[in-house]
Amino acid sequence: MTNDHGDAHFDVLVLGSGPAGHKAAVQAAKAGKRVLLVDREATAGGECVQRGTIPSKTLRESAAYLAGLRARSEDMLDLALPPQMKVASLMRRLRDVRGAHERYLSAQLSRNHITRWHGKARFLSSERVEVSMPDRTKRTVSAEFVVVATGSRPRKPDNVPVDHEHVLDSDSILSLIYLPASLTVLGSGVIACEFASLFAALGVRVTMVDASPRPLAFLDPELTAHFSKAYERAGGKFLAGNKIESVEWDGREVVTHLAGGGEVRSEKCLCAQGRIANVAGLDVQAAGITMTTRGHIQVDANLRTSAANIYAAGDVIGPPALAATAIDQGRRAVRHALGLATSVQGEFVPSGIYTIPEIASVGLDEAQAIAAHGGAVVGRARYEELARAHINGQTDGMLKLIAGLDGRLLGAHAIGEHATELVHVAQMALIGGLTLDAFVDNVFNFPTLAEAYRVAALDAAAQLAQRVAA
Amino acid sequence: MGVSWDENNGVPMSPSLDHGVALPPEVRTWLEAQLEREVDLPMLPESAARVVALCDDDDADARDLEAVLERDPSLAAYVLKVANSSVYASTEPISSLQQAVSRMGMATVRNLALTASLHGRVFDVPGHSKLVADVWIHCAVTAMFAREVARKLRRNVEAAFLCGLIHDVGRPIVLQTALRAARTHATLTQEQLATAMDAYHESVGARLVGVWGLADWTAAAVAHHHEPDRAAPYETEARITRLADLLAHWALTPGSGPEDFPVTDAVVIDLNLYAEDMEELLDLREHVILAAEALQ
Repeated sequence: MTNDHGDAHFDVLVLGSGPAGHKAAVQAAKAGKRVLLVDREATAGGECVQRGTIPSKTLRESAAYLAGLRARSEDMLDLALPPQMKVASLMRRLRDVRGAHERYLSAQLSRNHITRWHGKARFLSSERVEVSMPDRTKRTVSAEFVVVATGSRPRKPDNVPVDHEHVLDSDSILSLIYLPASLTVLGSGVIACEFASLFAALGVRVTMVDASPRPLAFLDPELTAHFSKAYERAGGKFLAGNKIESVEWDGREVVTHLAGGGEVRSEKCLCAQGRIANVAGLDVQAAGITMTTRGHIQVDANLRTSAANIYAAGDVIGPPALAATAIDQGRRAVRHALGLATSVQGEFVPSGIYTIPEIASVGLDEAQAIAAHGGAVVGRARYEELARAHINGQTDGMLKLIAGLDGRLLGAHAIGEHATELVHVAQMALIGGLTLDAFVDNVFNFPTLAEAYRVAALDAAAQLAQRVAA
Repeated sequence: MGVSWDENNGVPMSPSLDHGVALPPEVRTWLEAQLEREVDLPMLPESAARVVALCDDDDADARDLEAVLERDPSLAAYVLKVANSSVYASTEPISSLQQAVSRMGMATVRNLALTASLHGRVFDVPGHSKLVADVWIHCAVTAMFAREVARKLRRNVEAAFLCGLIHDVGRPIVLQTALRAARTHATLTQEQLATAMDAYHESVGARLVGVWGLADWTAAAVAHHHEPDRAAPYETEARITRLADLLAHWALTPGSGPEDFPVTDAVVIDLNLYAEDMEELLDLREHVILAAEALQ
């Protein structure tokens, strides 16, 4: 179908095939619309599949497996990695994992009759987009609605010369051939901590440097302290409160100069100081799209941009920049555009951090609960109290339940293996408005890590009982 | 335990591509037998092999490397010469091996040791010095372009350099063997010598890389840099080498302009490089040639 300009015409045009774009396209197709999905990569899935979540989590799984095996073998096996271990060996499953995920995504697009173009998009106006193909041809398309889901890429600060050889970013570090002897990680956010902990688990001497007083500073301090101990036990260091003055390759090592004096030397350096929205070349001004001061596309509560027919979802609109949130945003953006019933985004969105050990969180933390509800109790279950954790040989972990003074669950925070799975039990309890009694009165499989819920709920319930007695 | 690359993926000793002028059948049969089984592949000189091993040893440091270089004056002189070239030298001239290793880093010195060995042992065919010198500068330019392609794709830069540097290492060996065939069987024209090199350099190069104990992906890229789709699971490494190979041919062709580069070649599309990416790579021509010349 073409319009008066001779452009191809679709009901919905989606730019980017990552989690947000993929879901937006499928949602629109399921609503009976003609959909075009444009991506600069030939394969579906965006950065999530090519350079982000899937590759880094595959490497993390190998590192966590080795760390777990060491713990379980109790020195029966010599599990020291050979010097200069090939990173490629640790990622040997990546090709299969990535292939399986791409096949699943592509099949879903085909099944829903979604048209795909491989190319880079540029807005000509709010309704028209030019797509430059890799073979240097150009095509123009118009659509009733456009969803921008072009994702993000690593930020390169001016004082850090990322050359992808000695100073790497979170994409190029995955192409390391050999494990370096030492690694400086610039930053202390999610990506910095994920890579720092996984390389420390593989025996690399890791030094994380950041101006922040602690890693993952946005998290519950008890979880952060727990993470820091585990990271330091694995040999990692964290230099808190240090701004980066400059970074240079001196011909032998990467030297990180600290603003307060001093330096850190290492074989490689990872710059993990945030990500920026992928809008270069999109010419968003031509479409009348407004950007935020932090360089993200500005959207309203319904994910609509300042151009009435254009929506945006995923990393391109900024935090929380999680794949899970992006999927939900892509779906909601299209439903709003098409006038379909939209639920408000669930209040209880879990977050998962794939450090070693894993961290997960949902709902309020202790301070937020006290501020919002005038008081709270905290029940704790340590993995060492759980038979399953001992069987697994992974007793380093904890679940915290936050409950109001009426016993209603307000939040849950977990650290330890399988924390990112465990947290969904709490998410469902929060959505259902359940109280601590639900965990105490019901039966859990034994032995499981989920038993932590009973242990933590009993701890919190006992505190509530003491308060009543007092 | 690495991701295994099976040499049986296909490094046929018979020509995989249709190249130029046909070889006389008896020459072809003899040549294939020689290249497949009998030809002596050059070993790395001891000092170069020690440098490569040291750079892969986690416990080794720059002092160990300096000690090896000190025992091989020609290798030491080469390292100092490159360290003082415009690519690496700052205002302060390099006057010691310690300074050179410090300035360039161990990985660079390892690559230089391999480079020097290739130059002395492999790229030395008396009577054909011009032809071999052309192959050599092509390899050096390919190596430098491979680094830049890898940087753009956020792939491993050091591995790309090495694949580029040795991708045509089979050519001089095929040439030496073909010249022996010419002495015993039939006179071969320059075109027939070129045909032999085009046809067999990938498979011979892959054998040599295997004998030297270099990584699987290096062997895959050398074996399949003309047909990178066959280098699975190392297609990307082979494609980077292929694109760098094309860029080097273009850069070393006098009078060629950006419009002469085949920007819609399949390898450009397979690597997902768009017009602006290629423009940036083509703009590096002078820088890359200068850096490659420093290796000579």
